[in-house]
Amino acid sequence: MLITCPYCGPRDVIEFTYQGDGNRERPQPASQDLDAWNAYVYDRLNPAGDHNEIWQHSGGCRAHLRVVRNTLTHEILSTAFARGGHKSAGHKAGGHQ
Amino acid sequence: MVERQLPERQLPERLSPLEPVYHPGSHGNFEHGVDVILSETRPGSILQLAAWPGEEKRLMSGIYKVTGLALPDGAGGGVVNGAKAAFGFAPGKFTVVDEAEGLASAFTGLITPSIGTITDLSHGRTAIRISGPKAEWVMAKLFAIDFALPAFPLGAGRSTNHHDVFAQIQRTGGDQFDIYVFRSFARSFWKALCHASEEVGYEVH
Amino acid sequence: MSPRRTETGGRIDRLRTIRFTFDGARYTGHAGDTLASALLANGVTLFGRSFKYHRPRGLLAAGVEEPNALVTVLRGEVREPNIPATMVEIYDGLVAVSQNRSPSLAWDIGALNQLGGKLLSAGFYYKTFMGPVIGPLKGTRFWMFCEHFIRRAAGLGRAGTAPDTSRYERMNAFCDVLVVGSGPAGLMAAKAAADQGARVILAELEAKFGGSANWSGETIDGASAADWAARIVGQLEGNDNVRLLPRTTVWGYYDGNTLAALERVTDHKEVPAKGEPRQRYWAIRAKTVVLATGSFERPLVFPGNDRPGVMLAHAAERYANEYGVLPGERIALFTNNDSAYRSAVTLKKAGAAVVAIVDVRSDVSNEMSRLASQAEAELLAGHAVVATEGGKAQTGLNVRRFELMSGALSGDERSIHADCLLMSGGWSPTIHLASQAGARAIWNPARQAFLPPQPTQRWIGAGAFTGSFSTAEAIAEGRAAGIQAAGGSASSAPLPVVEAVPGEPDPAPVFEIKAKGKSFVDFQHDVTAEDVRLAHREGFVSVEHLKRYTTLGMATDQGKNSNVPGLAIMAEALGKPIPEVGTTRFRPPYTAVSIGSLAAERFGDLKPDRLTPMHDWHIDNGATMFAAGLWYRPMIYGLAGETVEQAYVREAAATRESAGIVDVSTLGKIAVQGPDAAEFLDRVYTNMFSTLTVGKARYGLMLREDGLAFDDGTTWRLGEQDFLMTTTTANAGKVMQHLEYFLDVIWPELKVTVTSVTDEWAGAAIGGPKARAILAACVKGTAVDNAALPFMGIVHGEIAGVPVMICRLSFSGEMAFEVYSGAGYGMRVWEALIEAGKPFGLVAYGLEALGTMRIEKGHVTGAEIDGRTTARDLHLDWMLSKKKPFIGSAMMDREGLIAPDRLELVGLIALDNRALDGGGHIVEELDAENPHDSIGHITACCYSPALGKYIALALVKGGKGRHGTRAFVSDPLRNRFGPVEIVSNHFYDPDGSRMHG
Repeated sequence: MLITCPYCGPRDVIEFTYQGDGNRERPQPASQDLDAWNAYVYDRLNPAGDHNEIWQHSGGCRAHLRVVRNTLTHEILSTAFARGGHKSAGHKAGGHQ
Repeated sequence: MVERQLPERQLPERLSPLEPVYHPGSHGNFEHGVDVILSETRPGSILQLAAWPGEEKRLMSGIYKVTGLALPDGAGGGVVNGAKAAFGFAPGKFTVVDEAEGLASAFTGLITPSIGTITDLSHGRTAIRISGPKAEWVMAKLFAIDFALPAFPLGAGRSTNHHDVFAQIQRTGGDQFDIYVFRSFARSFWKALCHASEEVGYEVH
Repeated sequence: MSPRRTETGGRIDRLRTIRFTFDGARYTGHAGDTLASALLANGVTLFGRSFKYHRPRGLLAAGVEEPNALVTVLRGEVREPNIPATMVEIYDGLVAVSQNRSPSLAWDIGALNQLGGKLLSAGFYYKTFMGPVIGPLKGTRFWMFCEHFIRRAAGLGRAGTAPDTSRYERMNAFCDVLVVGSGPAGLMAAKAAADQGARVILAELEAKFGGSANWSGETIDGASAADWAARIVGQLEGNDNVRLLPRTTVWGYYDGNTLAALERVTDHKEVPAKGEPRQRYWAIRAKTVVLATGSFERPLVFPGNDRPGVMLAHAAERYANEYGVLPGERIALFTNNDSAYRSAVTLKKAGAAVVAIVDVRSDVSNEMSRLASQAEAELLAGHAVVATEGGKAQTGLNVRRFELMSGALSGDERSIHADCLLMSGGWSPTIHLASQAGARAIWNPARQAFLPPQPTQRWIGAGAFTGSFSTAEAIAEGRAAGIQAAGGSASSAPLPVVEAVPGEPDPAPVFEIKAKGKSFVDFQHDVTAEDVRLAHREGFVSVEHLKRYTTLGMATDQGKNSNVPGLAIMAEALGKPIPEVGTTRFRPPYTAVSIGSLAAERFGDLKPDRLTPMHDWHIDNGATMFAAGLWYRPMIYGLAGETVEQAYVREAAATRESAGIVDVSTLGKIAVQGPDAAEFLDRVYTNMFSTLTVGKARYGLMLREDGLAFDDGTTWRLGEQDFLMTTTTANAGKVMQHLEYFLDVIWPELKVTVTSVTDEWAGAAIGGPKARAILAACVKGTAVDNAALPFMGIVHGEIAGVPVMICRLSFSGEMAFEVYSGAGYGMRVWEALIEAGKPFGLVAYGLEALGTMRIEKGHVTGAEIDGRTTARDLHLDWMLSKKKPFIGSAMMDREGLIAPDRLELVGLIALDNRALDGGGHIVEELDAENPHDSIGHITACCYSPALGKYIALALVKGGKGRHGTRAFVSDPLRNRFGPVEIVSNHFYDPDGSRMHG
């Protein structure tokens, strides 16, 4: 499986670490809503189809990515930096798009 | 972080992590010609400069002011100029290398907290150079990235790894790459590099 | 001249003679021969014994799909079993042996199995070894009893036990177009793509490029097809954009157009060059793949179809045209399609007598009849072969009249004298890679074959792979595929002109002739047509179940010959059309792949070593090294004759007596920098860091999001926006990822950079009553007294002429200092400290003594922060700030995490003065025979020189409430039961007076 890192270009999946379901929302730090915390810490979507995921390019630039992946076909539909910004760095000096 | 320098004077030479396994001379299948040359370049300064989002241009101009290296735009863009080199290796992050020691202090006034951070990695990274007609071939044994010139242009940098060994790689010549690995892994990586080079014949400078 | 070698012809180098042995006998062949062709040229027709019945077997094929002629190649002590003789290129000194026979190939005692043929039918193992319900051989014991004998009798080659000393390598490749297969379609595709300027890799699993062009006898552009192919290969060789990979099998097609290939670099060489790998594993990332993998000719299923002398028709053509070898002198052919007629003509031209062509079709075209006459063969249309005659070699065959629609046989058997029978059951496109890439194959009733599916990845098919079996089609499709793959637009330039023997591609739908005798479907696993029907009768209707029950297609050839005939017979038994029965998905690898090639450069050296700057000193000074993750750390510096316990007790005692020094360079170190660094640390740690003053360090604890303890360490404030965080050695990577995740995903607004600086700093911890005096003796530029360097203070100075940073903190409970220098100076500073310590009795100590002193002091490590414990369990609740939220703060007070019966950290003292062991359980009752009701377990243990006792840290229910009580340690696996006293985890200097000095 190849994942196209917005910075590094397409790289083998072994360079990436799966960091879980990208649909989770962390409650405000001071929140005492235990249900919300439970949902954030333990609940994971597991769709058969397109899934929003967080991956870290841990064996490369180490950026975290938001990846939309089809869990049935392994097709990667899109990748983007999890952290906004650095837009100027979205293209490569050569080679990969 | 900025290493505090004592009053200006020559510091003793640093010990290379490769010392016991660094054997200058020809090795491997060299009877049929030496197709790669391996060396440790031992730069005096290896810095990581990181810009906050939106501050990349100011950081790059800071790099230009100190080193004279004009970084091209774009991910992984880099430039080499004799004793100095710089390249992007991650969003907003750059590696800047100088043969001379003490480059960090040159940046301290220039890269302010509003722009980003300076991290001195002069001891923490070991710089290994591979050059020669089979450099791409040998590198391709160790790293799953495309080393062909159109895909990896001169000066450009890449972050990748060889198994557990992180590496930043800069193309510093048509058939030359500088590889920056963590110092603790350097000896293991050097041995792997030598092993991979045996097939084509190699020389250690 | 060899008995079967033709006078001329073939593409072997007749001037070069090569000597090799097979089963100990010496043979010669020519450069360009395979082991199969060379042996056949020498008159060898018996190549192996079959899997179950030990039936004599000869060559069925000439290529990668060969199921019978499997050999073991020996290189010194190293054996490589189960290689098709058709894929072994001969070299001087090659030693090959046959398999699955005893004592010899010609006289195989296992052939007696044929007499018990009924017993060994499908499901034999399942049925026979269910076992009696009672008695000594109850259940699977009978199987276990018989296994030894059966494993010897049934099977393929034997794996060796000698270590494989060959070199294997991995290669990563990138290209625009990967062309798999180098027949006319593949060559055209590669050429067309290269002409468009694309980066092309052309992989051919055989030694020679050209595929069928090497033996088809056809003419392309006025030259022999083989010469044409050689010319195209020459053009490709001259193109810098093209990489030609001969002897390279593309065996896996994975997601993202990533393909795996195995290049056999030196298997055909007597001696590899220095540093040359035996095999190279290619990981190829191709923008587009052209699949030009051709097709396999199918055997026909009829009694005696496995006798040596029965061969696929094209294989005989290939032996004749490519190797100049005739597989027989009097040849008969048996076919359901036109392609065998070309084979007949070829063999006639090569000098064989073609005695008959038996065609199941009664209606044979005039063109084919003409070809039969050209071959001077008797044409027996509407006939089928019902038996073959002979022993280890064929002497003849019997034919009967055959009714195509009903499959009925009629009339008298007629016997034909022939030493070779060539069969052709139609052609199956080699769709394995396309199937691996994703989609299901599609049955084509006209071709009677599975054709490649619609691409689910970026590949384009060409030639016989797509079911276009003629060379002219292959050339046209190959060029179109190459252009398309390279992103060009279709060419109207004229195509190379092919002159070929005519023939229609569609066979008659006949797979099996039902007559008396064993008719083999899967030659390699000895599965007969009757086995397939038996499986059906026993209720196996799914093709996947059929496969597993009969083992059809599960041998090393993975059903390359048997897949379609087996399916057709199953479909007939079920009374369903073939597409409704389905086909199994092909999985990687396409052919057997050596484990060595997958391990590649990791062979023998699985993980990189991580070494500290002082590593060589430790080795030179007698350290026994211990692998901690990837790191190597000194365990003890043992003296001659010392046990491990004696060594660490000496080291720990000396440290508490005078001073000790330990290498702490492996501690994870993370630079946390930026305007929001302090705020970030407040969120990450349970305690406050924004209040830490510059030049001071603080002990910090991190929790996970779920409120459990995660990691601990000290963090040093080096500047207003500049912190140096230390982590445990084991968790350095995890903590780094944790911090990066929060900065990238959760709090992107924070201006903080985190950088691994573990390798930037060498660290030496020096502790003990004399530690300060030693430092004072060698540090310049700073004082190290209480005023200048209080507990948790940081100073900068110089040792041996290099800058150092010293922090006063303690893990051992003694007054101690961590001395950090640039890693390149680590050895220099270490040696200076050792030198300065000599007058004070300084000892170097290792992990064992480090662990001993931390247990005495009651500090926690990864053994206690085990992913199940909370801060409270570890008595670290004093570190949980109430002034701010932090990671884990919302979840840490959940009911289960504050329950009173949780395991808490305590100390244990062995009351029987015997060693305790990690993992031992704590029980309340004195019942060594039946220990029960564990109240906790030991996490770390040692002999404490400070207390003169065996002690341990443990996690025990009730924790502090049990201090001063007695319990028992129970460790039945190590036969340990004995009394312990439960005490505070702070065994040593509980008020910290030594540390604070």
